[in-house]
Amino acid sequence: MIQLVEVHKGFTVKDKKTRKKKRIEAVRGISLTVKPGEIYGLLGPNGAGKSTTLRMIAGLMHPEQGRIEVCGAGTATEPEKARGAVGYLSTDLNVYNRFTPREFLRIFGEFQGVDPAVAERRGLHLLEKLELSDFVDVKMEGFSSGQRQKVSIARALLHDPRVIVFDEPTTGLDVLTAKTVLDLLSLMRTEGRTVIVSTHVLPMVERICDRVGIIFDGILHGDAPPREILQRWNVPALDEVFFALAAKGGA
Amino acid sequence: MRGAWLVFKKEFLELSKDRKTLFFTFAMPLILFPLLFTMMSKLGRNDAAQRKNKPSRIFLVDQGRVLEPALRADPKSFQLVPRPETELNQAIRDQKLEMALEIEETAAAKLVRQETFTLTATYDRSDDSSKLALERLRDLIKKQDVAWVQARLQTLGAPPQLAVPSRLESRNASSMALFIAKIMGSFLPYILIIMMYAGSMQHGIYTTAGEKERGTLLSLLSTRMPRNQIIWGKLLYIFAIGLLATLMNLLSMAVSMAHLFSTEAASAGTKAAQAAMESGGIGNLSAVASPATLGLSFLLMIPLGLFFSNFILLGGIQAKNTVEAGTALTPGIFVVVVLGVFSMAPGLEKMTLLPYVPIVNVSLAIRKLFSQQASAVEYLIALGMTVGLAGAMTWLSTRILNRESAIFKV
Ligand SMILES: Nc1ncnc2c1ncn2[C@@H]1O[C@H](COP(=O)(O)OP(=O)(O)OP(=O)(O)O)[C@@H](O)[C@H]1O
Ligand SMILES: [Mg+2]
Repeated sequence: MIQLVEVHKGFTVKDKKTRKKKRIEAVRGISLTVKPGEIYGLLGPNGAGKSTTLRMIAGLMHPEQGRIEVCGAGTATEPEKARGAVGYLSTDLNVYNRFTPREFLRIFGEFQGVDPAVAERRGLHLLEKLELSDFVDVKMEGFSSGQRQKVSIARALLHDPRVIVFDEPTTGLDVLTAKTVLDLLSLMRTEGRTVIVSTHVLPMVERICDRVGIIFDGILHGDAPPREILQRWNVPALDEVFFALAAKGGA
Repeated sequence: MRGAWLVFKKEFLELSKDRKTLFFTFAMPLILFPLLFTMMSKLGRNDAAQRKNKPSRIFLVDQGRVLEPALRADPKSFQLVPRPETELNQAIRDQKLEMALEIEETAAAKLVRQETFTLTATYDRSDDSSKLALERLRDLIKKQDVAWVQARLQTLGAPPQLAVPSRLESRNASSMALFIAKIMGSFLPYILIIMMYAGSMQHGIYTTAGEKERGTLLSLLSTRMPRNQIIWGKLLYIFAIGLLATLMNLLSMAVSMAHLFSTEAASAGTKAAQAAMESGGIGNLSAVASPATLGLSFLLMIPLGLFFSNFILLGGIQAKNTVEAGTALTPGIFVVVVLGVFSMAPGLEKMTLLPYVPIVNVSLAIRKLFSQQASAVEYLIALGMTVGLAGAMTWLSTRILNRESAIFKV
């Protein structure tokens, strides 16, 4: 269960040319709820505020206003408990290059309070699914970005999290592995976990997401099952919704 | 504390994967000091030995042939050379010869008349071999004087012992090794302090700003581990590296010192050197500083080490990348060095405020311990202040890590 209530988040950046400070309202009053056994897809153009929202759910950023609860634990009031319930994946999160995937997974199992042997078994099982078994005992120094992403996926899932927060999980993955990841997410849903993912791959959203939220400029423009959205906007595909929203924003 | 321990373990595991860094951190000092010491003592010994083995070249003016036979009789120490082509003083300065010796023309006659005659030796006081020539000449003349006096006594019918009322026998109680130990003893605290800081700085940057740069810190922070445990684990790691590096240096120093003592004892074979061998290198160190002094000094080093590791942690965690952290922390080495030099300056004990200046008071306290002027109150102030500062910095580091601006570049 994920619950966001009126969440605000802004950044102060400096414009090097005008030498003035500028506020960027990355997230403006987003409220949403994702229930167990549900996959929620977060869509939106670059800089819309998707990653910021997911980072706040993962406890890596703090909302300026509003509150967030993960499995009943507030990210501000019980940060450790909330973080422990989340499996967070993002391309920002890197692996320790000096370790092999096996060592890496054992260590993170310990960090998450899982018995290292159990963590290793779970992680290796995941890596097998992701077709990385041949590399479990190779130092990650020479790994490709896709291979690193695979290890990160295993890292995010090895503590059996109730809530799964994936920020663009298929970036850098080949089509076969991307499909595996989507299958994995579907499996998580059937296991009754709460899943929220952000992506730019619209067909993927139509295929696996139970509900879709579209963010534009930090504002959530409704959320509904993909089919309902298509009906509401009266368009054949999701990208048409984007075009329509962009036109509205420009007007 | 479990989280801190896990982070600590992870840091060491990560370090152990990097053989080269491991080697340069721990094995290097083990090799460095013995190498340095043997080179130092070899060089010193060779130079001295070479000078001792060469006869001193002397240009002699001795018309009465008063001293010439005695000089010629000792070819190991003296070699008579013809007048140099250049000016005499210049030739000595140019090391064409070691000394010019001029004996009064009337010396022989004066000797017969039982009067005093004069010898004029010209030498270069700034040159060791020239000084050696003078020393050798003094020894020779002393012996010659005794012979002459004894001859005079004989003509008077007195016993020859009259010329020798006493005989001084000197034994060298010290040795080159002990000399080095003494110098080391006075520098030891500073060497250790510098080693501690320099040894752990790079590792501290690697685990803080480095983790940020490599994007692994976010992975670490996304786990359920509390932030303060992560800080504690990293702190512990930096501290342990500093301590280990210091211990390695100390060990290496002690071993090479002991080796120096034993080789010197073997080569010299004198009583003093034998005593040095019996008591061993460490034993001689204790002649420089008592175990209590050393122990109390190290007790101060621990909070100081904590202070340093906190400082490194703080510098690393607030920086955006390793270059920034490195630039912020490198001047620290100079501060540490200056601190050491500063607290060795004379007359500091009289400054009343100094015991209340943090960090400076630590090196002051160590210095007073070594010079046996320690005051319990000042010692405790230094100890308490350092621990307090270290604690405050740990708190600050945790605060910074809790701020997202520390993790995300804003
Ligand atoms: N640490 C930060 N400092 C300053 N501004 C930030 C920071 N993080 C995000 N922003 C700003 O907040 C806005 C939203 O960023 P966010 O990363 O959430 O977008 P996104 O929807 O994930 O985009 P993308 O599809 O490109 O990943 C952007 O304008 C971005 O510049
Ligand atoms: Mg993003």
